Amino acid sequence: MHIMVVLRLVADLGGDIEIAHGGKDIDREWVDLKLNEFDDHALEEAIFLKEIVGAKVTAIMIDGDGVERSLQTALARGADEARRIAVDDTDGPISSRAMTPVVAAAAAELGADLVLTGVQSPEDIFGQLAPSLGAVLGWPQASAVSSVKPDDGSTITVQQEYSGGVSAAIRLPLPAVLGVQTASRPIRYVTGSKLRQAMAEEIPRIEATAAVAMPDVEIVELRVPDEAGGAVMLDGDADAIADEILRLLADRALLQVC
Amino acid sequence: MKDVLVYIELIEDGVRPSSREAVSAGREIASATGGSVIALIASGEPVGVPTLDGVDRIIHVTHPALGAYTAEAHAAVLADMIAKLDPAAVMLAYTTAGLDLASAVAVTASLPLVAYCTDVTVADGALTTTSQMYGGRLEAVVRAPLPVVVSIMPGAFPEAVTTGASPEIIVQDAPKSLDALRSVFVDEQRPARGSFDLSLAERIVCIGRGIGAADSIAVARELADALNAEIAGSRPVIDQGWLEKERQVGKSGRLVKPRLYIGLGVSGAPEHLEGMRSSDLIIAVNSDAAAPIFTVAHYAAVCDMFDLVPALIERLKAGTP
Amino acid sequence: MISQPAMRFDQPGRRLQGLLAAIGHRRLIRNRYSGILHAMIFVSFFVLATAIVQSFGSVLFPGFSLAPVGGDTWIALAQDVFAIVMLTGVALAAWQRLVLRPARFKGSNNTDANIIYILIVIIVVTMLLEAAFAIVAGSGASAIWRPVSATLGAAFTAMRMSPEFASQAHDVFYWLHVGAILAFVVYIPGSKHRHMLLAAPNVYFRSLKPIGQIPRPTPEVPPPPLAAATDFAWKDMLDTYACTECGRCQAACPAYASGLPLSPKLLITDLRDHFVTQPADAPIVGPTISEDTLWACTTCRACMEVCPVHIEHLPKIIGMRRTLIENGNIQPMLQTALSNLQRVGNSMGTASKMRARWTKGLPFNVKDARKEPVDVLWFVGDFASYDPRVQEISRTVALLFQRAGVDFGILYDSERNSGNDVHRVGEEGLFETLARENIATLSACTFKRIVTTDPHSLNALAQEYSAFGATYDVVHYSAFLLELVEAGRLPLGPTERRTVTYHDPCYLGRYNGGFDAPRALIARAGCAINEMGRCRENSFCCGAGGGRIWQDDSAMTERPSENRIREALALGDAELFVVACPKDSVMYGAAIDALGVSDRIKVVDLAELVMSAAETHS
Ligand SMILES: Cc1cc2nc3c(=O)[nH]c(=O)nc-3n(C[C@H](O)[C@H](O)[C@H](O)COP(=O)(O)OP(=O)(O)OC[C@H]3O[C@@H](n4cnc5c(N)ncnc54)[C@H](O)[C@@H]3O)c2cc1C
Ligand code: SF4
Ligand code: SF4
Repeated sequence: MHIMVVLRLVADLGGDIEIAHGGKDIDREWVDLKLNEFDDHALEEAIFLKEIVGAKVTAIMIDGDGVERSLQTALARGADEARRIAVDDTDGPISSRAMTPVVAAAAAELGADLVLTGVQSPEDIFGQLAPSLGAVLGWPQASAVSSVKPDDGSTITVQQEYSGGVSAAIRLPLPAVLGVQTASRPIRYVTGSKLRQAMAEEIPRIEATAAVAMPDVEIVELRVPDEAGGAVMLDGDADAIADEILRLLADRALLQVC
Repeated sequence: MKDVLVYIELIEDGVRPSSREAVSAGREIASATGGSVIALIASGEPVGVPTLDGVDRIIHVTHPALGAYTAEAHAAVLADMIAKLDPAAVMLAYTTAGLDLASAVAVTASLPLVAYCTDVTVADGALTTTSQMYGGRLEAVVRAPLPVVVSIMPGAFPEAVTTGASPEIIVQDAPKSLDALRSVFVDEQRPARGSFDLSLAERIVCIGRGIGAADSIAVARELADALNAEIAGSRPVIDQGWLEKERQVGKSGRLVKPRLYIGLGVSGAPEHLEGMRSSDLIIAVNSDAAAPIFTVAHYAAVCDMFDLVPALIERLKAGTP
Repeated sequence: MISQPAMRFDQPGRRLQGLLAAIGHRRLIRNRYSGILHAMIFVSFFVLATAIVQSFGSVLFPGFSLAPVGGDTWIALAQDVFAIVMLTGVALAAWQRLVLRPARFKGSNNTDANIIYILIVIIVVTMLLEAAFAIVAGSGASAIWRPVSATLGAAFTAMRMSPEFASQAHDVFYWLHVGAILAFVVYIPGSKHRHMLLAAPNVYFRSLKPIGQIPRPTPEVPPPPLAAATDFAWKDMLDTYACTECGRCQAACPAYASGLPLSPKLLITDLRDHFVTQPADAPIVGPTISEDTLWACTTCRACMEVCPVHIEHLPKIIGMRRTLIENGNIQPMLQTALSNLQRVGNSMGTASKMRARWTKGLPFNVKDARKEPVDVLWFVGDFASYDPRVQEISRTVALLFQRAGVDFGILYDSERNSGNDVHRVGEEGLFETLARENIATLSACTFKRIVTTDPHSLNALAQEYSAFGATYDVVHYSAFLLELVEAGRLPLGPTERRTVTYHDPCYLGRYNGGFDAPRALIARAGCAINEMGRCRENSFCCGAGGGRIWQDDSAMTERPSENRIREALALGDAELFVVACPKDSVMYGAAIDALGVSDRIKVVDLAELVMSAAETHS
């Protein structure tokens, strides 16, 4: 089995967020990039599979700031190979939807028969990567996956999570694409010494063989919702506040029984 | 290209509430485009269609492969229907199925997609949405041309109400591809009764040292019950032995992400905030206007919890306001 | 047994000096009762050794006698007198062990101690009786030089004992005496009293390295994980055999006091038993020393500070932790902290770009030491940068510096956690990464000295970075503020006189000797210090050090921080609990919350105290 894991960096939002001039992006001055939490789980699951059935794991990322280090970390964690994919259009972060053709082409080229990525990213408002990839590649896919078990080599059985703790086992033939929510085991710690070794490795950079493609859709404004900037104060006496809270809950369908 | 197609998700006892919310979001678009709201129900057996308010037509597709959910089968039906109907918008709720299907059909049909929507309006043939990013820490205003696939945040829209007329039900054949599916549903697991994991709770009432004494836990519990929420506490409350350790929220307790967190008499020390700051809705009640929990709360009330809690319980018991 | 080398043959002068101090009971006497009784037994032992020489010499070399050098005169007198001192000492010891029963003996081999007491009593009593019978028989020393034996002899004479009988009795007691000595000699090596032989070499071969360093073989080679006996150095083994099981370390240990499964004494004796009974390559971490035991340590160093025979617990604990890290045995909370440190250079996991955000609340811009030269480079530390409770204190420090006209700057988002605690968690690779990043940043800056608010950073910068060839002139802000005050640059006004108590942070006090500056500042700020019993070298750790702040504390029966607040409350009149470490503000603030005593005592940072005095200066 050859597993390709797709990793993405996202902004690491701290306490207060500020919007950049122009109003379409966050002010990145106080912001670091970090690995998308779910992609982290996808990587762990891939390494877990490698350990139990002996797969080859290749981690890929669209090249950019901080990518080399993230891929070195992936190697330290147990990935066999890593690639950064160079794309022309590097004007700001590339959405999951836009990177879909690039990633799909990479999967075909690397000869992957299982693609794992995080179920979602905090920025993917134009679509999630795993189902999009499945559609482009014509491979079966499942999102919100919490465990992957290889069956006989040609199929896998995945656990798909629904709300309220309900889950279902689904069997998929390979090749397939999975959007991982949590890995089968907690993410393991990579020691600093392993990381230091991996930091010495150079990550090959390859040219994308497909172009990024984005439908005609755009963010016209980005804002920090009122509530996030600081709490909305509920005023009045206890009765008035109680009425107000009940209204809030009712608005958000939080009063009905689950 | 005027109609709005809504994907309806079935659960044990009927329609998932968030699908009813998708219907009402769809209605807002349909009234701008002058089209109808068409619901797509895909089920395994040709049994009765559940009641569904607010739609003009229901298209019912049945096929044995649609009984238990798999992304492949349901995406095939939805994509097939998009191709047949050429709708102005395709609506889904952001659930696991919504996640699976929305992006897949958008790519298949070469449509743009906007996800995590909390608001939708249509003007001049284009859709404008408000979409959550970073779990609601940011809001993007997005513009997309029609036709478009829209996935909405559960809880952001009201459930659709009846339009009076009962919808016409059209039974349609399933696409041929359903006979040659690759994905197979194996079985389903439900959480064992009695197992408790605070980090899975959808609603949490968390008490802090402001509760004062063990005796007062009872009223907080009463509130939690009335809200169908789990009760939890800050470290001092657990230290005192007023609640079990597994109910501690925070760095050295549980990291929680409920849809609702109500903090009562919790000051909001960093170790506590670390455990709950990404909750969807945070309501904090504290008698001190300078309590740090207000920096992460979405709604805050400066008042005595012992005045507020009984008022809340009274209203909850009396039924919805 | 194969073991690792340890460089312990240098600096004989200094080594001897320490040995003499130990012989002088410098550490033992800190505990009055047992210190005195041990001194009594210790000195008596040497005096009575002359009796042993005499007894054995006379059989082995016929005609041998100490008489020519005073064996029948002043030596005899000394033997008689010290026999009584010895018996008194042993009585005190037995009283302590059997009646007073201090908790530190819990887990020690008490039977072993009792057997030794009995043997000593037999040896001394037979010696006295032997001499008494000699006096009755008319042989041996004159009665004037043996007052005790003579008194006994007088009693025998009064009982009408014949000289012949006395002579035979003398022979019997002589052999009993010799037999008891032989029994003692045979018994000692297998008992904890082997410390009589090993204590001196153990003290002599103690580590002379600066105490805040975890020695690194070379800049490129990190210290190895300790997994099996073969990984330990001979000195580590000697340590375990030299342990007296006195339990002083256990009594000082905050982890032990909090109910965690760590007693530094049992750690040492368990290691000793392992070395003696297990194959050299048998794994230690897990089967012999549990994971929980190793993670419980706060690295406060209280154990090493009190150990009378200078046993080195910490290098062993940290070395074994390296094994845990290497094997990936890390609890979730600690893993989160370490992953955060890898990712963003701070344990909270907050973006590194947010590190200097606290400066936004200041009425002036803090210089960026990466961009312009500064006199003083302020290494702020994680808690002081990120924790909202401490950020306020950091701003106070900045305002004080500004008031005193200090030309200072910070490293902004290039500062990384100093790695002090990461090092003590046993994460060598991460420590090296953090240290090298800081060193690289610092080497590109121009400054005269470094000031830090964080004792942990102080230790790393002052003591640990030298392993990578970087040495700095570093001061803690307590010393720096005192300097400013003394130089008249930071005038303090009159304040109302308040009674406070002060907590010595481990990494400022025990590790870096910063005991006096904070106290002097507190006095300058117009406060009177009512010291807690455990102060200065004997300070009691807040429980946060060595990575403990990143771990779950639910297994504790009492948090060390709460134990400490109770100690402060028991003083009765301390209104303020003064701290000089950002982690202490957090730990003790939470402890006061947990105990619900915020109406009785308040935590204040030294800087806040100084600021309130500075503000009253017109
Ligand atoms: C290493 C470490 C780990 C920690 N881990 C955790 C953790 O996992 N979880 C955690 O919670 N804490 C943790 N803490 C403790 C934390 O620092 C705080 O001490 C704790 O969260 C405070 O709890 P609290 O808010 O309930 O109490 P307090 O801080 O005492 O706050 C009580 C609040 O109640 C308000 N109040 C009082 N009366 C009323 C009233 N009648 N009506 C309304 N409001 C009222 C007060 O204004 C006050 O704000 C940790 C601390 C450390 C050092
Ligand atoms: S360093 Fe402190 S916590 Fe660790 S064993 Fe010694 S006394 Fe105990
Ligand atoms: S290690 Fe030192 S202090 Fe501890 S019991 Fe042994 S001799 Fe005493």
